[in-house]
Amino acid sequence: MAGKQRLSVIKQHIRANTNAPARTDEIQVSCSNCSSTDDGKVSFQSEAPTIPKRRQELLKWNGWGYKDSKFNLNKDGQVEFGGERYRLSGQTMPQLREWMTATVGISLDHKTPAQPELTAKDIPAPVKNEEFISELRKKAIPFTDDCQDRLFRAHGHTLHEVFVLREGIFKRIPDLVVWPNSHNDCVKIVNLACQHNVVLIPFGGGTTVSGAVECPEGETRMIVSLDTSQMNKILWVDEKNMIAKCEAGIIGQDLERRLAEKGFCTGHEPDSMEFSSLGGWVATRASGMKKNIYGNIEDLVVHIKFVTPKGVMEKSCQVPRISSGLDIHHFMMGSEGTLGVVTEVAIKVRPLPECKKYGSIVFPEFENGVACLREVAKQRCAPASIRLMDNQQFQFGSALKPESGSILTSFVDGIKKFYITKLKGFDPKKLSVATLLFEGTQQEVAAQEKRVYEIASKFGGLAAGADNGERGYMLTFVIAYLRDLGFEYYIVAESFETSVPWDRCLDLCNNVKDRLDRECKKRAIQFPPYITCRVTQTYDAGACVYFYFGFNYRGLSNPVQIYEDIENCAREEILANGGSISHHHGVGKLRKRYLKQTVGDIGLGTMRAIKNFIDPDNIFGNDNLMIGEPKL
Amino acid sequence: MEEQSRNVWIKQDDPKLVSSRHKDIFEDILEDRRHSSDVGWCLRTRDVPTYKNNKTRTIGQIKEHVLASDRVKYAVEQVCMESGLPTDEVWGQTKEILEEMSHNLKLGAIRGFAVFLVKVLKALFKRIYVNEEGIQKVRAMIKEYPILLTPSHRSYFDFLLMSFVFYHYDLPLPVIAAAMDFMGMKFFGWLLRNSGAFYIRRSFGDDQLYWAVFTEYVQTQICNSDHPLEFYVEGTRSRTAKSYCPKFGMLSASLEPYFKAHIPDIMVIPVSISYDKILEEKLYAYELLGVPKPKESTSALFKARNILSEDFGNVHIHFGDPLSIREYSVGKVDRSIHNLAPRYIASLSAQETDLLKSLAYDIVLLHLKHMVISPWSLTAAVMVQNKEGISMRQLVREVEWLKRHALNLGAYIDWPGNESSDTVVRSTLQLHKNIVAINKEDVIELISMDVPSHVSEDQLMQSAAQHLMLSIYRNQLMHIFVRVAMVSLTINACTQDTLPLDDLYNKYVFLEHLLNRDFIFHPEHTKLDFEHSLLTLTHNCGVVIKDDCILIKSSTNKYTTFFSQMFEPFLLGYWIMCRCLLSSHIDVHGKPKAKPPKVITKEAQMLSARLLREGAIKHLEVLSLDILSNGLHALHHMNAVSKEKRDGQAYMYPNAIVLTNVCEQLEKFLDVPQIPMTSILVESKTVVINAKL
Repeated sequence: MAGKQRLSVIKQHIRANTNAPARTDEIQVSCSNCSSTDDGKVSFQSEAPTIPKRRQELLKWNGWGYKDSKFNLNKDGQVEFGGERYRLSGQTMPQLREWMTATVGISLDHKTPAQPELTAKDIPAPVKNEEFISELRKKAIPFTDDCQDRLFRAHGHTLHEVFVLREGIFKRIPDLVVWPNSHNDCVKIVNLACQHNVVLIPFGGGTTVSGAVECPEGETRMIVSLDTSQMNKILWVDEKNMIAKCEAGIIGQDLERRLAEKGFCTGHEPDSMEFSSLGGWVATRASGMKKNIYGNIEDLVVHIKFVTPKGVMEKSCQVPRISSGLDIHHFMMGSEGTLGVVTEVAIKVRPLPECKKYGSIVFPEFENGVACLREVAKQRCAPASIRLMDNQQFQFGSALKPESGSILTSFVDGIKKFYITKLKGFDPKKLSVATLLFEGTQQEVAAQEKRVYEIASKFGGLAAGADNGERGYMLTFVIAYLRDLGFEYYIVAESFETSVPWDRCLDLCNNVKDRLDRECKKRAIQFPPYITCRVTQTYDAGACVYFYFGFNYRGLSNPVQIYEDIENCAREEILANGGSISHHHGVGKLRKRYLKQTVGDIGLGTMRAIKNFIDPDNIFGNDNLMIGEPKL
Repeated sequence: MEEQSRNVWIKQDDPKLVSSRHKDIFEDILEDRRHSSDVGWCLRTRDVPTYKNNKTRTIGQIKEHVLASDRVKYAVEQVCMESGLPTDEVWGQTKEILEEMSHNLKLGAIRGFAVFLVKVLKALFKRIYVNEEGIQKVRAMIKEYPILLTPSHRSYFDFLLMSFVFYHYDLPLPVIAAAMDFMGMKFFGWLLRNSGAFYIRRSFGDDQLYWAVFTEYVQTQICNSDHPLEFYVEGTRSRTAKSYCPKFGMLSASLEPYFKAHIPDIMVIPVSISYDKILEEKLYAYELLGVPKPKESTSALFKARNILSEDFGNVHIHFGDPLSIREYSVGKVDRSIHNLAPRYIASLSAQETDLLKSLAYDIVLLHLKHMVISPWSLTAAVMVQNKEGISMRQLVREVEWLKRHALNLGAYIDWPGNESSDTVVRSTLQLHKNIVAINKEDVIELISMDVPSHVSEDQLMQSAAQHLMLSIYRNQLMHIFVRVAMVSLTINACTQDTLPLDDLYNKYVFLEHLLNRDFIFHPEHTKLDFEHSLLTLTHNCGVVIKDDCILIKSSTNKYTTFFSQMFEPFLLGYWIMCRCLLSSHIDVHGKPKAKPPKVITKEAQMLSARLLREGAIKHLEVLSLDILSNGLHALHHMNAVSKEKRDGQAYMYPNAIVLTNVCEQLEKFLDVPQIPMTSILVESKTVVINAKL
């Protein structure tokens, strides 16, 4: 069962955390709000965050995720996933190597190892605003100018950023890292920054894939990384209104784990939830895998406390809906750190579901799957999650199959394959798989299952079991780790996403794939690129589509530039096909050039006007979104 | 040990030997058919490439798709709402339209037809040459993207040849957009439908329902790429062997799926089909003079069997490089403009329409670029200027001279390298012995045509028909010279000692406007064309520029004179049109009398005939309704003639001031006869006084 697995993962996280050495400069703060009350509010003890201040002790400094979890080639030349955190940990995947050789032309003889860990001498010296630092010291707000800490907060996880970590160094990194412990600390820091003309770049979980936390290269003022990770308290849960008030620095896994202890959940599960923070979700308009039941971040948020250079912006009431002119929440959501920092959020919670069940459906072709998802959306009977993988991704999923524990499993697999390919006439080179996650009471889940499978059968789909479904979701977590293995063998890869109306969904998938393929040929990439997509969310009026694209750059000298050029072509194609600039990754710096086309001159001007009012001195100067002219 | 020959690796030690099967980039595809069984060839299994995203469909499924499509449903709803007709009735109409339109491509029918066709082709033509490399590109592209085939159109044989070539090379057979006229033919109508022809009405302007069915029918076949789609950008068969100005309707319907982002790309393949001898030459000549074309009927085609005993020489089919609409439109259109409405409702943007026009012109210009010019065209061009006859020696010399200049202007000439010029010219004269003959003194003369019964005994029309036939072949190379001729005409017409380049350019622009219907000019390339022509003339033809001026005396020479004379008949035709319009310019109500274009053209032709009979002019070509009508339309575009609709029909009337101006400008390029101020109106035989302006 998935629930169990998740809990075991969580347990390991806790264990990892207790092992982490305590830092001397940490200041223990007790929370005054945490005393229990009798007005339906549930109180929480404060707990140290899972990810420590010295993130590099637990996390990779130049790749995705935990240090102990990575793909390796073992002594037999088989791909193996290390560590013990994940279900895949300690397993070998016998088909994976062959898959990698066959699809992207990986050769074990051609390696591209990363540079050794960077040390102080390699890292740019900090720009210091001494007055700001001494004031900070007086106010007893913890900070550091340790070079590793600064480097770790200089980047997110775009291909370009990780490649820089593996091969070089950023021209500009934060000069100081501060760790506010509360909303009030943030107010103080922002005030000081305004007084001393210091740039603040809010930093949550550091999982951005839009270049949002990167420092603008031309910035001459001191840049301070405002790391919210210590603001991780759940202040209270209001059972009467089913709202949890949390500090914005809490990360997804901690939030869900701690709520679960009291029988609640938010149900917000972006793929990055192990590391990403509540404040980051708000600032980027995040979307979670289970939004069909729980909603996206804009549906979940009830109240936001937002510290800006002009002061604190918040609503005076905490109501389910309001008509009060322009919705200030919608300035904060998607502001991407350009207007201020999110400090506290009241978010809806739900009781933990009684039953959780995976499922999957096999379709003869991707097209049938899209039609089925459209119908499911039309009938508004989508389960917590429904995703459709194309054939390339299905094949990748199959390649990820661990060495089976028992002979029986593979025997059953054989029968299934025989049934689907021989009896039903599905072409293994064309079939497509939808993965499902149901949540609710036993009866609700049973009813949902029945309805979804019935619709699927109308589109030629066959139920293909819980295992395939679960493997599909596992793939999401694992694919980020896999990129790091690719890096070792001349592979550059990245994902990007969009949202699109239903009538254009299939055409968009086909056209973007064709465009990617064509642009690769044009740039003389010698090996076949890996191009795959999946439909990951369904809405009344359209869907979210996720592309994964990578290629083998042996023989080419500037892979990142080539990758970015091609991704830009793909984005142009997406926009021409009726898709959007982004469904949930956001704009950051990476997609700035498309913002004007998306919102128009007036839209952009309005955004700039808000920025100019709230932050005339550009204290929140991360250069995202509408600020400055987009760099082309 | 045997004595080694000079070069052991040379099989045929004769440098003069040239294979006729493989000629330069071309390969003869009839050769094999002459040596193996036709039936076996027709019945063989064909391994055909298909589009990567194609889903196999039957013709029935295509029709079902059309009827179930959003576009057609929407149109039916609209029509019901506007006309108040019951839904069932409108659906009935819709189905009728679709049935009338659809092709019924059946491999069985094709195979049967192929046996017959290959025998006909072998009887008619010596060789059918195809550039194999072009075919390979088509083959590769068919798998990647939907294909549009846009051949040039100068004979009925064009689409038969296209299907034949595709059958020969194991490529999927194209479906062909055909005009309704064919449908009336009993057996062939059926046969063509079964060979992939679908029928569209020539004009269906506002018929919303027809438009919807047509668009969906075409587009679904493109999106799924069931077959390559073939149509003629020129819209109809050229009767003059010159390319017609492109039409945009079919092209925009076919390319819309790209702009609406249904498919990643569409490949347009321009195909140039050049005939040594056009089967319809005689028919065309009479048609140009105004004898109506016989309605296509089966019996007419069977009568055409007489021609099976004739020799029509070679055909060259050149497949141009696939032109990607995506690459063509990079940076020029923003497809996201269609994001805000369902794709079956909104129409194309102005940007896209402009792009399509430009593309249409480029396609026709590409046709021209890859046309194969036969020695006969060169001969005809010389003959046209020497109607009284020319000695063989002189002819060969002139043809060689013209050939050299055509080559310098980028023409592809089918001139065998291993033969003497004399032999080449003689053999081409032999092929066209119905038009010209060599007499005992080795002088080449035109033969008078045997007169079909329905043509008047008028000697003038007889010799005109014969002359027009010759001019059709000369027309095949006119596009090569037209731009340099426009510069030459201005130089030759100049009465000063020097001519500033700016003035030269202005005149060039004027001539381009005038000739714009008879020749293909890319609307955006005027300046570039001008500069290239001027460069050619200064490099090769003795034109001298000093201080940004042409030195007229040294620049007026054999070259400029010859090029100018080539185009004289066209200018003269336009001038006659001007005079004809001006002569009818006064009317009792103060507004010139408006007449349908056809009537005006016919009147102008009568004026031409009068002037010819009086000996005032010599060029018989001015009797061509085509030239006169093109002149009229050019004048309309220059605003010298206005157009209005009466009862849905176009009527035209002159715009005296502009027209007089154009006419005066034209007279500077030509020696025109003095027409007395008092002239006889051809139609009414009444005497009117021309206005003094």
